[in-house]
Amino acid sequence: MQQLFMASATIIIGVFGCVGYFFVSNLVLDTLLPPRGPEAGRNISRAAQIRPWLFLLPAILLLSVYLVYPLVVSVVLSFKDSQGASWVGFDNYTWLLNDTKFRESLGNNLLWLLVVPAAATFFGLIAAALTDRIRWGNFAKAMIFMPMAISFVGASVIWKFIYDYRGEGQTEVGALNAIVSAFGGTPQAWLTVEPTNSFLLMVVLIWIQTGFAMVILSAALRGIPEETIEAAILDGASPLQIFARIKVPQIWGTIAVVWTTITITVLKVFDIVLTMTNGQWGTQVLANLMFDWMFRGNDTGRASAVALVIMLMVTPIMVWNIRNARKEMR
Amino acid sequence: MTRKLFASAAVLALLGGAAAAQDLKFAPGEDARFHWDSYEALKSVDLKGQTLTVLGPWLGPDKDLVESVIAYFEAATGATVNYSGSNSFEQQIVIDAEAGSPPDVAVFPQPGLAADLAAKGFLRPLGDDTAKWLTDNYAAGESWADLGTYPGKDGAKALYAFPYKADVKSLVWFVPENFEDAGYEVPETLEDLKALTEQIVADGGVPWCIGLGSGAATGWPATDWVEDLMLRINTPADYDAWVKNELKFDDPKVVAAIDEFGWFARNDAFVAGGAGAVASTDFRDSPKGLFASPPQCFMHHQASFIPSFFPEGTVIGQDADFFYFPAYASKDLGQPVLGAGTMFAVMSDNPAAKAFIDFLKTPIAHEVWMAQTGFVTPYKGVNTEVYGDVTLKKMGEILLGASTFRFDGSDLMPGAVGAGIFWTGMIDYTGGKEAAAVGAEIQKTWDTIK
Amino acid sequence: MDNIAGTKSSLVWAVHMATAALVLLWVLPTLGLLVSSFRDADQIAASGWWRAVFSSEQNIVYRAADVQTQVQQGDLWVLQGNVFDGGKGEVQSFGITSRAPSDFAPGTAAPMKDGMAAQVEVNGDYRITAPKAFEGRSPRLFVTSLTPPRFTLANYSKVLFAEGIGRAFLNTMTVTIPATVIPILIAAFAAYALAWMEFPGRALLIAAIVGLLVVPLQLSLIPLLRLHNSIGIGKEYLGIWLAHSGFGLPLAIYLLRNYMAGLPREIIESARVDGATDFQIFLKIILPLSFPALASFAIFQFLWTWNDLLVATVFLGNTQDQLVMTGVLRELMGSKGGEWEILATSAFVSIAVPLVVFFAMQKYLVRGLLAGSVK
Repeated sequence: MQQLFMASATIIIGVFGCVGYFFVSNLVLDTLLPPRGPEAGRNISRAAQIRPWLFLLPAILLLSVYLVYPLVVSVVLSFKDSQGASWVGFDNYTWLLNDTKFRESLGNNLLWLLVVPAAATFFGLIAAALTDRIRWGNFAKAMIFMPMAISFVGASVIWKFIYDYRGEGQTEVGALNAIVSAFGGTPQAWLTVEPTNSFLLMVVLIWIQTGFAMVILSAALRGIPEETIEAAILDGASPLQIFARIKVPQIWGTIAVVWTTITITVLKVFDIVLTMTNGQWGTQVLANLMFDWMFRGNDTGRASAVALVIMLMVTPIMVWNIRNARKEMR
Repeated sequence: MTRKLFASAAVLALLGGAAAAQDLKFAPGEDARFHWDSYEALKSVDLKGQTLTVLGPWLGPDKDLVESVIAYFEAATGATVNYSGSNSFEQQIVIDAEAGSPPDVAVFPQPGLAADLAAKGFLRPLGDDTAKWLTDNYAAGESWADLGTYPGKDGAKALYAFPYKADVKSLVWFVPENFEDAGYEVPETLEDLKALTEQIVADGGVPWCIGLGSGAATGWPATDWVEDLMLRINTPADYDAWVKNELKFDDPKVVAAIDEFGWFARNDAFVAGGAGAVASTDFRDSPKGLFASPPQCFMHHQASFIPSFFPEGTVIGQDADFFYFPAYASKDLGQPVLGAGTMFAVMSDNPAAKAFIDFLKTPIAHEVWMAQTGFVTPYKGVNTEVYGDVTLKKMGEILLGASTFRFDGSDLMPGAVGAGIFWTGMIDYTGGKEAAAVGAEIQKTWDTIK
Repeated sequence: MDNIAGTKSSLVWAVHMATAALVLLWVLPTLGLLVSSFRDADQIAASGWWRAVFSSEQNIVYRAADVQTQVQQGDLWVLQGNVFDGGKGEVQSFGITSRAPSDFAPGTAAPMKDGMAAQVEVNGDYRITAPKAFEGRSPRLFVTSLTPPRFTLANYSKVLFAEGIGRAFLNTMTVTIPATVIPILIAAFAAYALAWMEFPGRALLIAAIVGLLVVPLQLSLIPLLRLHNSIGIGKEYLGIWLAHSGFGLPLAIYLLRNYMAGLPREIIESARVDGATDFQIFLKIILPLSFPALASFAIFQFLWTWNDLLVATVFLGNTQDQLVMTGVLRELMGSKGGEWEILATSAFVSIAVPLVVFFAMQKYLVRGLLAGSVK
C-alpha cells in the first residue's frame, strides 16, 4: 500500500515536475526577454536562440548520462586489458580480426540485417494495406500485433516449442517436425542444422516486429491525402496499381523509419539467440558475442571492442538519416 | 497473515513438502543424531539487529533448503539474513561487485569465478585458521582448501572461499528393474560398462540418454563426461596440468579423452534419438528416457542433483538408482571421483559475514541440510547417520572413499574457456567435428586470453 | 473510409482470405502454447497440441499398490487397484516387463515369475496374484492406454500461487508506469525542438540521437550502476526509472521527431504568423496532432519496460521485495527446467498484462489516428 502511494506520488511529481520545468523556464525566458517593447525584435531573436535548448535540456541530460557516458567509458575500455587496468593499444581489435567466432557473428549479423528488416517491413506493409480495407481489420491488427507484447524470452519459449525435436521413434510434438513428417520428410533437430537454424531464429524476430511495422505503416497509409487517391481512381488505376504507385511512394519516409527502427532492434538482439541456441551451431551474433565476453569471459576490453563494431555497423543508417533530415529542412 | 499462509501452502504443494524457511526444520535438542551442542555454542555470538545479505545460485526447492539452514544461524545469533537466488548469478555477481554494491556473502557455483573476483580485490580473505580448519576437518582437506585459495589483488595467495555442499559427478543413473528385466549387472569396471553398452545394443535396446541442452549453458554436461574420462585414462597429475593449461588442450592425452566421450555419444546406436539429438536435448529432459515405456535408454551419466528432474514421485533406491562411473581395470588409476561444490565468500566488512562463515564450520550447518535432500559433505565431523536417505549416504561414501578426488575442471578454467569455448567446442564435436580440431580450437582461445 | 474495396467483390474476397491467412500464421504459434498451458505434462509429451481434443495414446509405467495393501483371498495374495488412479482411460494392451511392455491384451492373465500373475482390464482395474505374500517393492505394470483429452487449470494455479507473484506485480507496475510517462514528456519537447525550431547544431544532434539508438544496453550496465551507487541512488526505484527513461529516449525522440516533422508546415507557420509562441504551438497544436505517435510510443515503452529483465535485475536488486514479474517467472523457469507445461503457463501469465494494455490502448490509438488525419 505504501509502495503504491509512493509510486503514484512519484508519477504525479515526475509529470508535474516535467511540465512545470518547461512552463516555468518558458515563462522566465519570456519575462527576461519580452517579445514586445522597444527591443522586441532583438529579444525575439535572442529568445529563439535560447528556447530550443530549454526544450532539449532534460533530454540531453538524460541521454548524456545514460548513453553517452557509458559509450565513452566503452571506447576507453576497448583499448584496455580484460580488467580495464592497463592500456593495450589495438590488441583487442587485432584479436577480433583473427577470431573465428567474431567472423561468424559478423557474417550472421549482416544476414540478419538484410533479411529481418526487409521481411518485417514487407509483411507489415501487406498487413497494413489489407487490414485497412476490411471491417474486422482492427481485430486482425490486434492479432498480428500481439507478438509485440510478448517478451523476447516468452517468444523464444513459444518458438522453441515449435522447433522441438523428440528423437527418432517418438511422437513429435513440435509443429515444424509434425508438418515436415506429414509431407514425408524426416524430423530433425532444427536448431542444430546449419544454416537453416539462423533463419529459424530470424523468423522469431520477424514474427515479433511485423506488428510494429504494421501499426506505424497503417497510420501512414491513413494519413495519405484522399485527393491523390481519388485522382488515381478517376484515371482508372486498379487498386493494386494505386497501392504500388500512389500509396507506397507517399509513405517512403515512414517506411524508412520503420526499416531503421527494426534494423536497430536487429543489431541489439541477443535475447533470442541467447535463449534458443546461445550462438552455437553457427548462429552467433555480435550482441550475444559481446554479452559472452562481458559476463562469461570477464573481459571488458574485448566486450567493448565488439560493442563498438556494432556501433560502427549502424553508421550507414546514421549518415542516411542525417541526409534525410537535411533534405526535410530545406 | 492468512494470505501468507495460503501462499506458503501453495509453495509447499508445489515443491512437494519443502519447508517454509522461517521455521526451524528440526526442533533443537530433539533428535539425538544431530550435534545440537554446536548449535547451542553458536548462541554465544550476538548479532541482534544485524542484517546480512547472501546472494547465491539456488532457486526453487534448493532455495528453501538453504534457507532452512540459514534459519538456524538466525535463531541462534539474532541476525537477519536475506538470501536471494539468481538464475544468472554469474552475471549478477560481476555487475554488483564492479558497481560497488556486492552482497555480504556470495555463494559461488564455480571456483573460477571466485578466483577472478579475488584477483580483482572484491573478496575478503578468510584467514589461515579457516584454511587450516578445512585441511584438518574435510576429507581430502588439502584439495578442498586449494579450491578456495587464490591469489588476491596483491598477488599473495590466501583462502578466499569456503567450500560447503559438494556434488558428486561420477555417477551413472539407471532403473534397477529394467536391468533385472534384461538380466544386466551393474558394471564394476569401465571395460564392463563398454561391454554392457554393446550388449544392450545387441539386445535391441538403447544404452544411453545424453542431453547437452541447457539454454545459455548448452554443452556443459559433455564437459563432465570428458573430465570423468580424463581421470580414467590419464593420471591425476595430467588432469591438474590440463586444468592449468600446462597440458595443452590439443595434447593427444586430452584428445583421447574427448574421443573416449565420442565412443559413447557419437554412435547413433548408443544414444536415445541418435547422435544428432544429443546436443539439442535438454539435460533436464534427457533422464526421462530412463522411465519411459518401453525404456528409451538404460543409463544416464549425471551429477547427484539430477533426481530433481526425474518424473514426479520417483523414489530413489526403488524406481531409480545410481552406480559409480567405474574406472578401467587395465589402468592403475584407482577410483577417481569427479565432483563439484559451492564456495561461500565474504564480500564486505560486515562482521556478521565472518560469523556466518564460522557457522558453516559447525556440524549442525551441514547436518540440517544432510537430513533433507540433495546435500553431501566432505566434513568428517558430521554424523553420517543423519543423511536423509540411503542414496545420499551412498554418495557421501563415494566421496569419502575416493582414492583421487578432483574438482570439475571446466569450473576451474578461465570463464572464457570453461564456461565458453569448452562448451561450444563439445557441441561442435558431437556435431561431427574431429576431436583434434576441437582441441586445437579451444587451445587457440585459451592462448589469446593470457 | 476506403471506397475502392467495394468496387470489386473478388478483390474483397482475396483481401479477406489473405488477411485471414496472415492472422492465422501469426496466431498459431501462440495458440500452440496457450493450448499446451491447459494440458498436463504427460499429454504434452504424448501428442502435439493440435491433437489436444483427441484421445492420445500413452505408455505408462505403473507401480502397483504398496505391498502393505495386499489382501489374502483363499490361498492367493492379491494386490489390486486401478492404473489410472481415478482418472479416465482405456487400456489397449499391457505388459509385465520393460522388454515387452505391450504383450498382453486387456482382460487376459499374464503369467509372471514364481507363479505370480497379473491381469489388467480395459477400464484400468488390475489384479496381481501370488501364491505367497508380496515383499519389498511391488511389481510394475506397463500399460498402453488411450487417454481422453484432459484439460486442467493446475498449471495456472501452480504459477499464479507461486510465492511473491502479487508483490512482483506491484513492483512491476511501480517500475513501468513512471518509466513510460517520463520519457514521453521529455521526448515530446525535444522532438518538437528538433523538428520545428531553427538552431545551430540541429542536424548534428539528430545524427547523435540516431547513433545512440544502437548503444548496446549490456555495455552501459556496469558504469551506470557504479554511478548510481556513487551518487547514492543505489538499487532503488528512482534509479530504474531514470535508466529506463534514458534508454527509451533515443527511440522516443527519433519516432516523435519524424512524426512531427511530417506535420503540415502551413499550420505551424500560420500559427506563428498569428503570434503564437513556440510553447503555445507545441501545447495547442503539435501535442494534440501527435497523439497517435505519442500513444504508439507509450505502448512500445510500456511493453519494453514490462518485458524487460536485464535492466530490472541490474538496477533494482534481486530480493523478494524488489523482484519484478519477469524475475519471478525466470526463477520459476530456472527451477523447473524443461517442463513445457510450466514454461507455457509462465509465458502466458507474463504476457497477459501487456495484451490487456494493448487492447485497452488500441481505442485511443485509433482515435488518435483519426484526429491526426483531420486538417
